[in-house]
Formats: sequence, structure tokens, C-alpha cells
Amino acid sequence: MRSGPQAADGEIVRAVLAGDRERYARLVERYRDRYARYAARMLGSADAAEDALQDAFVRAYDQLAQCKDPDNFIGWFFLILRNRCFAERRRNRTSASLDAANDVAAEDRTDGGAESAERRRALQLALMELTPDQREVFVLKHVEGLSYAEIAERLSTSVPSLKMRMHRAYDKLREQLRDHT
Amino acid sequence: MSGHDFHPLVKQLLDGDITLADLPPELRGEGEAALRLLAAVDRTDISMPAVTWRVMTTLERRRRRFLPWLLAPALAIAAALVILLRPTAPAPTAALVTVRFVLVAPDAKQVSLAGTFNQWDAQVTPLVRTGATGVWTATLTLPAGQHQYAFVVDGVRWVPDPGAPAVDDGFGRRNSVLTL
Repeated sequence: MRSGPQAADGEIVRAVLAGDRERYARLVERYRDRYARYAARMLGSADAAEDALQDAFVRAYDQLAQCKDPDNFIGWFFLILRNRCFAERRRNRTSASLDAANDVAAEDRTDGGAESAERRRALQLALMELTPDQREVFVLKHVEGLSYAEIAERLSTSVPSLKMRMHRAYDKLREQLRDHT
Repeated sequence: MSGHDFHPLVKQLLDGDITLADLPPELRGEGEAALRLLAAVDRTDISMPAVTWRVMTTLERRRRRFLPWLLAPALAIAAALVILLRPTAPAPTAALVTVRFVLVAPDAKQVSLAGTFNQWDAQVTPLVRTGATGVWTATLTLPAGQHQYAFVVDGVRWVPDPGAPAVDDGFGRRNSVLTL
């Protein structure tokens, strides 16, 4: 069996299921950073995102035999991570997001001055005021850069339904950020 | 629609369906403000290299915890056979033995022990670095009998004791064996 760094997801999944557990690390390495940003923006905290990613990868490992399409491991994994992020937000609905916004602001020093950092910080705080559904569609479109059609496919929903969520999110963000726009 | 809602055309602008130039003049200001909102979106990449070893260490630790349970039925059968073969043998007296574990690991930042005596939990039995020579030690008092264990270096690397015999754990790794 091929074991090079470019082995396809399906090949790695099948190898892990056949007993080569160490190769699971390749899948983790391949996707951890790609979804770190999604989790961080959804949860508003880099620490919470790291915990969520760890839990999701461990859960995916436990349920790997249930991955019906190993070649689409990442689509399947994304839904596990998504559930984990939603559950986390339900648990911590009342927790303040100030630390989260500061996490973001700390990463912002590369481009722009204090005003730009302040805008980003304000937007991150406002994002945390959206419902998880609204925040998710905003993050997937405007942070991850996916099209509505791609998001609809990933979440098994329709484009009009996503647009409705997004448009409510725009209005809510405008209300939250009326001093910043 | 409240007074704070974006105009539907401005929402189309935010969706990327139209451009600022497509807006009627009276909506340009609102459109520009909306685009400033999107300009504040943080798309900074985030790297979480620790996730890989956190995941793999969790899986490894859990596997080692499960191992004794997987072997338990076989051990129970073996024990039953011993009892059947030696029905009059006296019960062994429980005894405690103090033993010192030593590992030379000059580059390690932390070393711990995981074994049958602590349910393979690499968090609970740390070794202490003695001096600057890279010698790590821990002294434990254990019940007499056979124990399996490994050193865990920096929370990631499971290392058998170079000074003790080892057995295959049934999953392709080596566990050290200590008989007291």
C-alpha cells in the first residue's frame, strides 16, 4: 500500500481501519489548520477551537467505520466538527466573548493600524451575537470564501435558505456595528 | 424591515451578486458602509500544530487503558486453570515493593510513567529530573507481581525501559515488564 505524503484520504482511512492507526495522524495534519479558523470564528476563542478540533478528530476516529465515503472523509469530518462547535456554543451561550475578540485582535497586527484592529475586534464581537446558524453561514462565505452553492452542498440545505439566514445576519451585524460602519 | 436593515440591493452587493456601480446613487453610501463591514472580516490563517499530538496521544493513552480489559477474559481463564490445577495452593500474601524507575533523557522536557499500576494514565506519575545530567527518576511502591509500563517523553513519545525486558502489547508496540 502506498504510504507517501500525498496518499488520498480514502486510502488513509482504509489503512487506519485495517489497523495502521498511526496513519490517522496524516489526516489530522492535513486538515487541522484548514478547520482551525472555522472553529475559532465559530467559537470565538482559539483555545476552545483547539479543544473542539481535538474532540472532533478523536470522535471521527472512533466512528471511522461509519464513514460511508472514505474519499470524502473531510466532508464527513466537517459535520462532526460542526456538531461539536454548535454543542459548545449551547453549553456556553452566556459566556462573554471579549477574550475571543481579543484573540482575534492579537492576530491582527500584520495589516493596518489601531482603527482596523478595532473594526475587526468589533466585528468578531458582533459575530458572537448572531445565532450559530447565522454565524456559520457568514463564516463559511466571508471567512472561508465558499460560495452559497458550496455551502448548501456541505450543509445539505438550499441556497435560498442560506441567503435568508445570511441576510438576517447582515441586518443584525449592521445594528451591532452602527458606530463602526 | 427595520430602520437598521440593509436595503435588499445592498445585501446583493454583500453577497457579491452586484457591484457598487450597480447601485442607484442614493444607495452608494449605504453600499460603501456595508463593504467596510466586510473589509473588517478576519481571514487570518490559524495554525494549531499541537492538535496532531493531542489527538494521537489521546488515542494512544485510551488504547493502553483498554488493553487490560481486552486481555481480562483471557487472564480470567488462565487464572481459573491455575486454580483448578492447584486447588490446595495457599493464597499468595500481598506485599509491597519499593522500586525506582530511571530513564536517561537529556533532551526531554518532561517524562512520566504509564503502566498497569496507573491505568496507563501518562498524567499521574511524573518523573523528576535529577541534576543537569538528563537523568529522570521516580520511586514508587507497588504490589508484588508483574507490571507492564512505558516511559512517556514530552507527553508524546512512548518509550520502553531500555533496562527492562519487554513484551509485545499485541498492537505492534513494546511494553516493559517489571516483576516484583
